[in-house]
Amino acid sequence: MSSVPVISLQKVMLSYPAPEGEVPVLRGIDITVEPGEIVAVTGPSGSGKSSLIAIIGGLERATGGAVTVLGSDLMQASEAERTALRRRDIGIVFQSYHLVPAMTALQNAALPLMLSGNLDGTKQAQQMLERVGLGHRVTHRPAALSGGEQQRVAIARAFVARPGLILADEPTGNLDQETGIDVAETMFSLVHETGAAMLMVTHDRSMAEKCDRTIAIDAGLIAA
Amino acid sequence: MQNNSHDDTGIPFAVRTRILRGLLSAELAAGIYGLRLFIACVTIATVMMGAVWMMGDGLSRSLSDSGTTLLGGDVAVTVVNVPLDDEVVDGLAGTGTLSRVAELRSSAVIGDARLPVEVKGVDEAYPLNGVVRLTSGQDLNAALQTRDGRPAVVVEPGLLRRFSAGVGDVIRLGDQEFVISDSLLIEPDRLSAGRFMVGPRVLMRLDVLTQTGLIQRGSIVDFRYRLDFAPETSLDAAIEAVAALRPETGWELETPRDAGDRVRRTVDRTTTFLGMAGIVALAIGLTGAWASARAWVSRRVRTIALYRLSGATPAVVGSLHAAIIAIASSLGVVLGLGLAAVGTAFLMQIVSAQLHLVWSPVSLVDPTLQVAWILVLGITGTSILALAGTGRLSPGAAMRSGEADLQPDNRQLGLGLALIGLAMAGATFSLPVPSLAGIAAGGLCLVALVLTGGGWLLARLAVSRQPRGFIGVVVRQGLLNTNAVAMRAVSIGIGIAGITAIVAAQNSLEQGMRAELPDRIPDLVLIDVQPDQVEGLKTRIAENPALGDLQANPFMRMTLTAVNGVPAEEALLREDKSWVIEGDRSFSWTAEPTGAELLAGDWWAPDYDGPPLLSPEEDLQEAFDLKPGDKLTYSVLGRSFTSEVVNIRKEYHRTFRPEYLLMASPDPFRDAPQSWIMSLQGETDDAVDAFINDLAKSYPNITSIDIRTLVAQVTEVISGAVLASLLVALTLLVAGGLSLAAVIAAEVDARRREALAFTLIGASRSEIALARLCEAAAIGGIAAVLGGVAGWIGGYWAVEQALRVAWTPGLLAAILPLLLGLVAALAAAVAGALGAFPKGRGQIVRQLSA
Repeated sequence: MSSVPVISLQKVMLSYPAPEGEVPVLRGIDITVEPGEIVAVTGPSGSGKSSLIAIIGGLERATGGAVTVLGSDLMQASEAERTALRRRDIGIVFQSYHLVPAMTALQNAALPLMLSGNLDGTKQAQQMLERVGLGHRVTHRPAALSGGEQQRVAIARAFVARPGLILADEPTGNLDQETGIDVAETMFSLVHETGAAMLMVTHDRSMAEKCDRTIAIDAGLIAA
Repeated sequence: MQNNSHDDTGIPFAVRTRILRGLLSAELAAGIYGLRLFIACVTIATVMMGAVWMMGDGLSRSLSDSGTTLLGGDVAVTVVNVPLDDEVVDGLAGTGTLSRVAELRSSAVIGDARLPVEVKGVDEAYPLNGVVRLTSGQDLNAALQTRDGRPAVVVEPGLLRRFSAGVGDVIRLGDQEFVISDSLLIEPDRLSAGRFMVGPRVLMRLDVLTQTGLIQRGSIVDFRYRLDFAPETSLDAAIEAVAALRPETGWELETPRDAGDRVRRTVDRTTTFLGMAGIVALAIGLTGAWASARAWVSRRVRTIALYRLSGATPAVVGSLHAAIIAIASSLGVVLGLGLAAVGTAFLMQIVSAQLHLVWSPVSLVDPTLQVAWILVLGITGTSILALAGTGRLSPGAAMRSGEADLQPDNRQLGLGLALIGLAMAGATFSLPVPSLAGIAAGGLCLVALVLTGGGWLLARLAVSRQPRGFIGVVVRQGLLNTNAVAMRAVSIGIGIAGITAIVAAQNSLEQGMRAELPDRIPDLVLIDVQPDQVEGLKTRIAENPALGDLQANPFMRMTLTAVNGVPAEEALLREDKSWVIEGDRSFSWTAEPTGAELLAGDWWAPDYDGPPLLSPEEDLQEAFDLKPGDKLTYSVLGRSFTSEVVNIRKEYHRTFRPEYLLMASPDPFRDAPQSWIMSLQGETDDAVDAFINDLAKSYPNITSIDIRTLVAQVTEVISGAVLASLLVALTLLVAGGLSLAAVIAAEVDARRREALAFTLIGASRSEIALARLCEAAAIGGIAAVLGGVAGWIGGYWAVEQALRVAWTPGLLAAILPLLLGLVAALAAAVAGALGAFPKGRGQIVRQLSA
């Protein structure tokens, strides 16, 4: 049975402007991720991993090549279309948790549902927080939560709308080993439950080994 | 466990100082770019305060220091119309060095051109104090020597410009020709006249003035006798001796204090009024300085934590940041004072030249120091508030999340607020009229409290709402932070209140002045009309259909000495009306009713020929609570009368028509030496011009004052006042804008983090911007309504109590608060939301990975 890839990148290029001229970051990346597949992206710092996540998440536009995510051509998509795709079908987890400081854990987790017009999303958000082990911390604001707890809120927020794609950029990078393993297991478990595909940038070899396959990037190119 | 209050690390003080110096050098080498808003806020508050204080102090000091010069001597005696007898003059000369001066209005003619002028005849002793400065630098007496058989005059440059004339040209005054020998730059006793100057000054020798026939029977001439006493003389005793020479008469005896006071009252009011704007600017500036310093400290949480982790004690951290703030403050204060000094010096050059005052830049020193200490207090207070809690910052908490709340110490907060209060009090009490300034400062505090309350209510309202949509939730979250909401409401609302008040007051003043100009003013006023010329002129005007609205009255002067037998000074009930007994005032007689509205009583019969009956004007009535039947004692032409009041007249001021404080029935004034004043209107400018030329030929002794020119001058003054008010309002606007920018800057990092989080979960820029706009609009709306209402109340108070004109705030004052609130809300939304979005390729990745 053939299925449409969740992610399809062909010869993707990205460069950033700098005073001395354009600085190439990605120099022709080809990646395909199938539905339900979990793919690790590894590589040294500055190799372009985070930029890759930003392009797939529609946060940045590639300067060349073809980018198709969940059937949408992101090279042609407008800002609004990319925003809609992210809202509807993509969950993102970053090393820095990027929670809204003024909102409680429950409000943070419910935000994607609200944005999608689901005004009764609090219950779902509550369930998702319980699922990630934070049922007792729903009224706490980020400043009152530990790093691991904040990351769990970020995970709950990424999964609450049951997106088809999860993008994770070193989600355990700020956590101690034990907490990191705990958080990673929660993510893998949720990916399996929801059937989402996941592209995860990681430096952690053991975590990469738990993924279906690994793509190594070096200097903006696929290394292996 | 570390005790934050304990900073005794065992390191000697000298070493700690070296450490602090090293850290400070490193910080300064990196620059204080992060404090640019703080410096801007301090600078604008300093400029505003500095300029007002320096101008006010400079003028007041000039007037105080120049009292003797302004008056022309240690004592001055003035009589009107008739000079003092030789016997009295000899008596005056026996008490000290005497100088005599006579002043009158006349017309100067060159060719066909004619111009009203203020003629002043001076003796050789003039001036007893100060120096007359002429363009050529020559001595006044030398300049007034007869040349080529013609007496010489020194004239103001304005006259030369109007006639396109120069030194050496011949000018005619009455029937006498004069040669212009020089132009006048400084006339030290210029302000002693205390009256409106209808034209440029012409100086000539006193003996020439009395010989030229310019002074006729009944001419309105001020004869001034100035005396300088020997240094060892007791001033009080000397004044007593002078007064004894001519008791119970209408002469006006003035001391230097009186001369300075006359002008200083105006300067004091103006300074206080501008000072209120200065206090508003100080409050706005300090608010902005606090917010920007707080934003700077918040951004340095990681750095502070790093210092603390590296072993820096709270004292070192606190001292380091206090030193950086102090350096930034000094920059702002020095820059602001420099700008204020340059601006003030420029303005004072112009003003002192206009008022013929001698002004020295040294006079800037005192107000500069005064402003500096007020600002030092205020900025120290705001800095303490901004830095409060830095020493108590937990290094671990800060390093874990990059965010940490600074927990201020209550004692530090108290000290900071007390210092700010002291600064405001200092500013208030250093103004010439502290009561007015105090009410303004108190009102400002009240406005700040009301706005804080409004912000608090808005936050409470947000708590009570449970929105379910994204935008509603984000707006609610934005409004939940009571302190931030209140701070934004205050920073926007204070500016709106101040600007609205100033615009409303300025509009009222402008309307009040303009409203009376169009339909009541005459085109022409004729002075020095001899009684035997009145009928002829009346006929000539009646026969000319293009001229009309003639009003003709004899013009005399009187001094009020007693009311119902009580000396006038003691009988005075209203201090603001004290001018009615200061010197000689306008007086006339009439047989027929003048047409003025009567507030009480009736006119005497047209054929009444008995002892004088009186018709005082409303101001006189208000000064003494006069009623028909009261008795006034007054002096006219050196003779004292006591007469009964039969009615109270209402006059309309600022009409340019001659108005009389006191009018009497004809006898015995009908036969006294006097001249008449006539005013009339023309249908066209040409008709008026033709009549002026006709007069110059037929009646050369009559001086015609072209009111159209004066109106143009007054309009120019009004426009200048409007421009000045708008400049003040603009400065407040800039101060408010900076303050708002500082408040927004204090939140921008948190907004950026929020914007990133919203972007990640799929919120569009427009949704985020809309949410921020709604939040800002709510705060802007509250600030606009409360600030606008406060501004209207403040403006009304200023108009009624300080300016005493009719309350006509104008459409702009109504629209302005809403407009400013909207602009501020938009600015806050744009800067706080759109500005928080990462811009440019790569920036979002960089921030996400931070």
